[in-house]
Amino acid sequence: MTIEKIDLDLCTGCGICIDSCPMDVIRMDRAGQKAVIRYPQECMNCEQCALDCPEEAVTVTPYKTVPLISSWG
Amino acid sequence: MIECDVLVIGGGMAGWFAAIKAREQGLNVLLADKGYVSKSGETIYAGDTAVFDPDAGNDLAAWLEQVDVIGEYMNNRHWNELVFRDSRERLADLRSYGVQFEEKDGRVVRLPHPHANIVLPDTHKFPPTVSEVVHWLPGFPEKVRKHLIKIGVKLKDRFMVTELLLQDGRVAGAIGFSIEGNRVEVIKAKAVVMSAGGGGFRPVGYPTHELTADGHAMAYRAGATITSKEFVSPHSTNPKDPAWPPMYLFFSAGHSAAQPGMYSAPHLFNAEGDEVAARGVAWHGWIDAEYEAHEGRAPLIADLGKRGVLPVSGPGGHGSMFGHATGGIVPVNDDCATEVPGLYAAGDSCGTCFIGANYSGFGFATAHAAATGARAGLGAAAEAKGLGADGGIDEKAVAAATARLLEPLERKGGFTPNWVTQVLQNTLAPYFVLYVKHGDRLQAALSTVEFLRDHIAPKLYARDDHELRLAHETKNMILNAEMKVRSSLARTESRGTHYREDFPGRNDEEWLAWMRLKQEDGRMVTFKQPIPAEWRPDAAKSYEERYPMRLPNEVPGSGAPNAAGEGR
Ligand SMILES: Cc1cc2nc3c(=O)[nH]c(=O)nc-3n(C[C@H](O)[C@H](O)[C@H](O)COP(=O)(O)OP(=O)(O)OC[C@H]3O[C@@H](n4cnc5c(N)ncnc54)[C@H](O)[C@@H]3O)c2cc1C
Ligand code: SF4
Ligand code: SF4
Repeated sequence: MTIEKIDLDLCTGCGICIDSCPMDVIRMDRAGQKAVIRYPQECMNCEQCALDCPEEAVTVTPYKTVPLISSWG
Repeated sequence: MIECDVLVIGGGMAGWFAAIKAREQGLNVLLADKGYVSKSGETIYAGDTAVFDPDAGNDLAAWLEQVDVIGEYMNNRHWNELVFRDSRERLADLRSYGVQFEEKDGRVVRLPHPHANIVLPDTHKFPPTVSEVVHWLPGFPEKVRKHLIKIGVKLKDRFMVTELLLQDGRVAGAIGFSIEGNRVEVIKAKAVVMSAGGGGFRPVGYPTHELTADGHAMAYRAGATITSKEFVSPHSTNPKDPAWPPMYLFFSAGHSAAQPGMYSAPHLFNAEGDEVAARGVAWHGWIDAEYEAHEGRAPLIADLGKRGVLPVSGPGGHGSMFGHATGGIVPVNDDCATEVPGLYAAGDSCGTCFIGANYSGFGFATAHAAATGARAGLGAAAEAKGLGADGGIDEKAVAAATARLLEPLERKGGFTPNWVTQVLQNTLAPYFVLYVKHGDRLQAALSTVEFLRDHIAPKLYARDDHELRLAHETKNMILNAEMKVRSSLARTESRGTHYREDFPGRNDEEWLAWMRLKQEDGRMVTFKQPIPAEWRPDAAKSYEERYPMRLPNEVPGSGAPNAAGEGR
């Protein structure tokens, strides 16, 4: 779905993708070493993270899943 | 508390210009953005901008006529003229900031309007398109960001502004929080420019989910008048991967001049194989597409000539994903001041009614954002300079605003922003609410929106900083929904991108007027603002001459309820 993965072997933790994301989907891990996909549901497939990552560590796909609607949530 | 002379909220084209022009006046300027300046907002996706240049043979009267006819007389001619006349200087400014344009022999290449060469069947007379565009090269936002830093504009990225702070009836600053870490901060300013863009309901297929009409909402709550919310921005997506913006870009906007034939006669066909309208992928032909769906003749296929065929599905826009220079905060003078003292508006946040009831020309939105941004920046700077030592902001007011900001985090339970957003989308997304409109259906949508406003929004809760942002965005989207539905209900005619099945014709007698709305005693009220007599279409012309674009089931001129449309 949307932002699919960040390849941790490639990620250097530079943080560029975090600034590139208008939707606050990506954050740094607790140790501040690697980027992690924290809020994938907000991803709008804009691709900026993938385009801007100098290590080409980010994969974005065309697919987006939406949670099932329930009576409250 | 942070202090500055001019606070600019939102760093797209409008905010860039506002900040730069104010800074050039020697002031202390802060530009806050909930994204990252150069990485958020609509500006970064735009490929072209309109530049009016008499030396290139452009004729002002012809440009104005284009906006009149396509904008169906809902355009503000005064602003058309200001923006067109400013555009050449704004182009020169951008070049001086390091932005590169497509050039040939040292000159910026001017291109005809993409629709100018489309050949249509006789049944679909096409309005005149004489405006011209220029294309910037990729990477332009980064160039402007560097320039902002170089000249000393202070950037505050990933900071969401939630409320304007008023002191003695004038704007004295704003409050917001850091997206990461939810640190609340008050920014004191002598003047504020609202350039937070437009807003939709997190459309699929269009990467503008961060634009939730925050600027319109904040200004409305501070007492500003909002205009033209009934018009929509109906860009469609594709049924295969509806959430994939690049597919949309391929289909329609043409973000590169390097694709010859990009605009070659696109044709739209319905499921029965009939051509819907050759103008189907231009101007408000989207309404024709929506109507085909209404009549049970979807799916639709776009024939892009050399580029093959592409299936098309309804607008992922959920009823307008952005202002596109139409609806927004009403400016009261040429400096983009608003009715709220100390508050200026620019770009998609600013309701100059520049483009009218349709998107009346490619490149107009960024030209408008640049022109209004520069004007607002200069206006705000002049006002800030004129003020002496500023007073403080009442501590009690700050405490109350802080409590409002943090309220969703304080709640132990309630409704999640994601669930509420989904309910709102389900209410507004179907074509029969904001595209093929009808009084009964709008009324039904309004009941739901009012319930969300009164019962659900106050119980929104956030489990962390990320959800705090979502909670505020959701509240703003609910307010924007109310604005759009109320304005749509009030305009009992069809015009431009506002199509009422129960009033399927333009009604010049009653509706050569802008639809405004405002808060009065805590309630949203709508009212008409008549269009100046000298800007109205020539009454001696026939209806078809005034309005060359046909509507489904049109009842020319009557605007009266249509027997066929009633009782559906
Ligand atoms: C895909 C696409 C293609 C387009 N193509 C063209 C084109 O080719 N030519 C053209 O002229 N127009 C085009 N447009 C329209 C044009 O880009 C916009 O109308 C214009 O750029 C708006 O500029 P703006 O500065 O008003 O707003 P934006 O560029 O949208 O900037 C608004 C900024 O405000 C920030 N913000 C929002 N809320 C808050 C808040 N609460 N606190 C802090 N910051 C906030 C956002 O993060 C954003 O950075 C296109 C639009 C899209 C989406
Ligand atoms: S931009 Fe790439 S390398 Fe840098 S933090 Fe993100 S994923 Fe890692
Ligand atoms: S595709 Fe866009 S919205 Fe999604 S994570 Fe990347 S930058 Fe964020």
